[in-house]
Amino acid sequence: MALSAQVVSALAAIVGETGIVVSPEGRMTYECDMHTFYKGAPDVVVLPTSAEQVEAIVGVCRAHRVPIVPRGSGTGLIGGAMAPAGGVMVSMTRMNAILEIDLASRCATVQPGLINLWLTRAVAGRGWFFAPDPSSQMVSSIGGNVSTNAGGPHCLKYGITTNHVLGLEIVTGRGERLRLGGKAPDPPGYDLVGTAVGAEGTFGLVTAVTVRLLHAPEAVKTVLAAFRSVVEASQTVSAIIAAGMIPAALEMLDAAMIGAINAGTGAGYPADAGAVLLIELDGPRAEVEAQGVRAAALCREHGALSVSVARDEAERALLWKGRKEAAGAVGRLTAAYLLQDAVVPRSKLPDIMREMAAIGERQGLLIANVFHAGDGNLHPIICYDDRDPAQLARAKEANESLLRACIALGGSVTGEHGVGVDKAKNLPLQYGEADLNFMYRLRGVFDPRGLMNPGKLLPSHPACGEGFRPARPVLPEGAWV
Amino acid sequence: MPGGSQGEGRAGGLASAEGLAGLRACVHCGICLPQCPTYRVLGEEMDSPRGRLYLMRAVAEGRLDITDGYTRHLDLCLGCRACETACPAGVPFGRLLETARGDMERRRGRGRPGLRGLLLALFPHPDRVGALLALARLYRQVGLQRLVRARGWLARAPGLAAMDVLLDRLPAAVPVPEYLPGREPVRGRVGLLAGCVQRHLYPDVNRDTARLLSLAGWDVVTQARQGCCGALDLHAGRLGTFRRRARALTAAFPRDLDWVVTNAAGCGSAMREYGHWLPDGEAAALAGRTRDVSELLADADLPLRPLPLTVTYHDACHLAHGQRVRAEPRAMLRRIPGLRLVELADSDLCCGSAGIYNILEPEMAGRLAEMKVESIVETGATAVATGNPGCLMQIAAGLRRRGSAVEVVHPVTLLARAAGVGEP
Amino acid sequence: MSVTARSLGAVLAAVLGAEGLREDPAARAAAAVDGVTPRWVAAPASLEAAARVLALAHDEGLAVVPRGSGSAQELGRPPARVDLVLDTRRLDAVLEWNPDDLTASVQAGITGAALASHLAVARQWLPLDPPGWSGRTLGGVVATQASGPLRARYGAPRDALLGVRFVQADGVVTWGGAKVVKSVTGYDVPKLLAGSLGTLGLLAELTLRLQPVPETEATVLVVLRDLAAARDLVARIVDSSLQPSRVELLDRGALAACSLPPAAAGLAVSIATVAAAVRAQHATLVELARAVGGLVETMGPGFWRVHDRMLAHGAVRLRVTAAPAEVVPALAALAAALPGSPGRAIVGSATVGVVRAVVEGAEPAPVADGVERLREQFTGESGSVVIERGPRVLRERVDAWGPVAPGALALMRDVKSAFDPRGILNPGRFVGGL
Repeated sequence: MALSAQVVSALAAIVGETGIVVSPEGRMTYECDMHTFYKGAPDVVVLPTSAEQVEAIVGVCRAHRVPIVPRGSGTGLIGGAMAPAGGVMVSMTRMNAILEIDLASRCATVQPGLINLWLTRAVAGRGWFFAPDPSSQMVSSIGGNVSTNAGGPHCLKYGITTNHVLGLEIVTGRGERLRLGGKAPDPPGYDLVGTAVGAEGTFGLVTAVTVRLLHAPEAVKTVLAAFRSVVEASQTVSAIIAAGMIPAALEMLDAAMIGAINAGTGAGYPADAGAVLLIELDGPRAEVEAQGVRAAALCREHGALSVSVARDEAERALLWKGRKEAAGAVGRLTAAYLLQDAVVPRSKLPDIMREMAAIGERQGLLIANVFHAGDGNLHPIICYDDRDPAQLARAKEANESLLRACIALGGSVTGEHGVGVDKAKNLPLQYGEADLNFMYRLRGVFDPRGLMNPGKLLPSHPACGEGFRPARPVLPEGAWV
Repeated sequence: MPGGSQGEGRAGGLASAEGLAGLRACVHCGICLPQCPTYRVLGEEMDSPRGRLYLMRAVAEGRLDITDGYTRHLDLCLGCRACETACPAGVPFGRLLETARGDMERRRGRGRPGLRGLLLALFPHPDRVGALLALARLYRQVGLQRLVRARGWLARAPGLAAMDVLLDRLPAAVPVPEYLPGREPVRGRVGLLAGCVQRHLYPDVNRDTARLLSLAGWDVVTQARQGCCGALDLHAGRLGTFRRRARALTAAFPRDLDWVVTNAAGCGSAMREYGHWLPDGEAAALAGRTRDVSELLADADLPLRPLPLTVTYHDACHLAHGQRVRAEPRAMLRRIPGLRLVELADSDLCCGSAGIYNILEPEMAGRLAEMKVESIVETGATAVATGNPGCLMQIAAGLRRRGSAVEVVHPVTLLARAAGVGEP
Repeated sequence: MSVTARSLGAVLAAVLGAEGLREDPAARAAAAVDGVTPRWVAAPASLEAAARVLALAHDEGLAVVPRGSGSAQELGRPPARVDLVLDTRRLDAVLEWNPDDLTASVQAGITGAALASHLAVARQWLPLDPPGWSGRTLGGVVATQASGPLRARYGAPRDALLGVRFVQADGVVTWGGAKVVKSVTGYDVPKLLAGSLGTLGLLAELTLRLQPVPETEATVLVVLRDLAAARDLVARIVDSSLQPSRVELLDRGALAACSLPPAAAGLAVSIATVAAAVRAQHATLVELARAVGGLVETMGPGFWRVHDRMLAHGAVRLRVTAAPAEVVPALAALAAALPGSPGRAIVGSATVGVVRAVVEGAEPAPVADGVERLREQFTGESGSVVIERGPRVLRERVDAWGPVAPGALALMRDVKSAFDPRGILNPGRFVGGL
């Protein structure tokens, strides 16, 4: 769909000639996010610098019924920031200011394009931080984090993005700019802030976010333990939780990942290890010391091959080294892979790991794992050779089997990456028709014209269509007079 | 392969197996974005490393032609290689960019030389730089510069205006002896690269470098007849010319040197790349022996007097990203008694100099200079040190525009002052 | 199809069974909301029965008021209509509890105390402590987004609610969220339902994130000479690495209500962790307290029960929310705006931004005036003033919720009409008369 010259000039009038990208080369670079499998270039990209401009852009698009796709840093993993139906992409990169830091009220207000880590950098000197820490935090934007309700290794203790969003300024699909929530908790009425976080741009464009900031903990303790198998490591995870600890992070690597990391820079994991567990505790020093000792003991009780406890910041960095290099190390395993993001109840980790091995074997594919074990959030990496179409087909099949297995164990189809175009089709695994229909109607309230990031988050399913009525309970026969 | 422009970049463009492998290594994660100066200023995907790689790959795979738009986005890249430092997948961005520019150069052909052609015909020739500077001195002395500036004659030629600003510093020539013996006990023999720009605009840095190296126990050889390292040709994609210059420079240095020392980050970075572009033979060996001056002086035994200064340090791109030298210059400065080194925010973000970039792209270069100057002023330092002549000029010009009195110096200059061998 | 009231009763009886339907005057009167007596009191024993009741009510246009323990029936505006009170207290089962996962799924009618005793065997808990929490149902706590002192560390009900099964106005049983601690699949429907006062659906089953019970908890009261010292101390605590689980500011009246010696203000702080860390954090706290001239007194384990009782009773309870830094000024503003009486107590969750005042035996008029005055200061982004409890006459004089910005209210209206087009769920009681 090509935009009319009228729409383009109306947009240019809002953002100026330097705020609009119309060239084919420019638009091409916006055709995908980190999930490059899904491509769809927008007809035009606009780069607003103010909330007023965003409101005006939405106004033009509404008047001409043009789809709107928001984009932050484009680091999403779900095909969220691409334009399957063309239209106008709104890049928030130029709205990246910190509007206010208010440590006395434990919060900051920022523009959506601000890079996650930059907020922590701005307050770190005073001993504070912004808790959500997706692995992309050095580049992903807070607006994008809000949009996908991003998680990260440390959300086991601190919660995911939604737990840290106090207020939003949003231009809805209805065309109006609203300020919802803010520094004061519990504004009367529906929790529209909580409802809008994770809506992936389908409710509107976020133009400012008020987030909670936390004071940095007094101490951090990192323990790394190697196990013979993922099963033993998983049992240790349960034991740690059962002992009354909520570590800040509880990360696991499986044998395939350990091999890949050892082959690279060498984090020095035991060669015969089938699993590595990284445990990070933070909080009051005495608490962290006591829990560190207890956690290390639990690792040994569960047959750990080795247990290391970091004594200082340098040693802590060393223990994290392998985990942080995991993403890069994947390149040593395979040129192409599917990255999954599913969740099982933490107690079901041994079951899903067994199931995963079986699936890998059945499809003849290597599945490597590096994941947030503490909250059961799996990130299986299904390796395949992209020169062989049959392998890609098998990888996709393995991917679907894995998701079904996670749901069968009581899990979720996405823990922190979001839905986008990639997982929309998987929602019926987790939700029934009535549930999907509820979401569809909710979307319609915020976006009556269906212009906001169309094709994302909800599947094309009868329950997500006009006129669908979910089944109602049957009333007793014969009671009627 | 024959030298000269006939051979420009023929040996494998982006579409070669090596090019494609480099491009495919990019997993599109975007971690490079915030490190990229042009992305920091524009916030546009196509002016980010990830976007540029995406376009290069599209060209390599035949989805996109080498269009003017494509050329524009690649021309706007400073080649600072900050993205390489950030990249978790090890994408060799600098080489891919140079390869892409080789492809572009081939397509551009020998049509109109333009400002870029003129500059490339000037800077790699020390004698021509020297002659031009003589003219420039005249330009200033007869009051022409004041007149030109007052009348705003260069307003319509931003590139020339940028050059005019940079030309504020026109020092008198300072001779560097061809041979300077090392202080006993002698540790070995090093060659010093004089540099096309350095030798004319910062001759004192060369002199100080030689004196410090000598003081540190190195015999220092500085040939009068050395040519250009080829860096500017390499960055412009003139690979044939670059190779010719690299061979000539290699031949100019004796083979028995322990190290070849540079004090210009851009030159050192290009020389360290010789091995990639000229894999066999002497040039590769020279690459292996090339060191930044800070690497030799960081732990050298030098008698140092106190220098009560608050100094901040700007990482020249081709030192930090190109050569991965970050700690040594800082260590060198910290050794000076009384000197307080304060960290500069985004110290490794490009200042906008980037070879001849600030003349070709004055607007972008100007905005980067403003950002850099802002960070420098925020540190409260009275001097900023950086190890590249381009950065020295660019930052000095930026500070002048802002009316700041912060001194801009090569780290060597400060060390020489402390060692009592520099000029006061 | 139309049904007479008499035959409606028969259908309800068929759906609910004899135990599940009360039509007698005494039961109806006991379930009255703001003096409006329902025709029926339905207490379904199953999700299916609840769904059928709502389906019927929807078709017949009956106004339904969901209730748990009934402790929040004076929250909000007087109802527009009440035909049927839907009592959830027979839906009180723990459906699923996985100690290893720190999650539990419960029916909405379970009380805080019942769940607590269930979880205690594994030293786990659901750390929510709104006033009167032990007798309140979890459905009610979630539907009213009610929080207490523990919010300082553990957050509000919305933060603990992972998944929710609810019955929409037309009887359709719907699920939102997940049973695992981390899920971003689709919209965050649990957030929409938490705090919705039953106006979008009947909360039937809740999946909750649990926490381990800390090894020990110690509470101190820092007695302060004035509110300025209180503000100073709170600022110091906020900007420290202390990890308190409750930080409650008590005014003179609240200190009296808790039978504590008189003072201008007191800050009750709890530290809950391993014993060694409790000692260390306590020492830090004492230092901070001394720096502002506060006297530190150790409180016994019963302190928070007394505190809870103080808030759970009283004829009128107001809630002011403000930015955390404004809690002390908010407390002062409440003191200035409300009639002073021997039974008045004001407390504030100092790091959260929730301040509550309990007033005993005051005339409605001055209280209403006080609310209006407070709303000049705490409104919109600066906060809110909500009447959590009070006689109908008070809430007729002054809106129980206060103003909601027009744009947001329009959106809320459309949300409401999308899911309850006939307006049968708690009609009239929520913000803007939704």
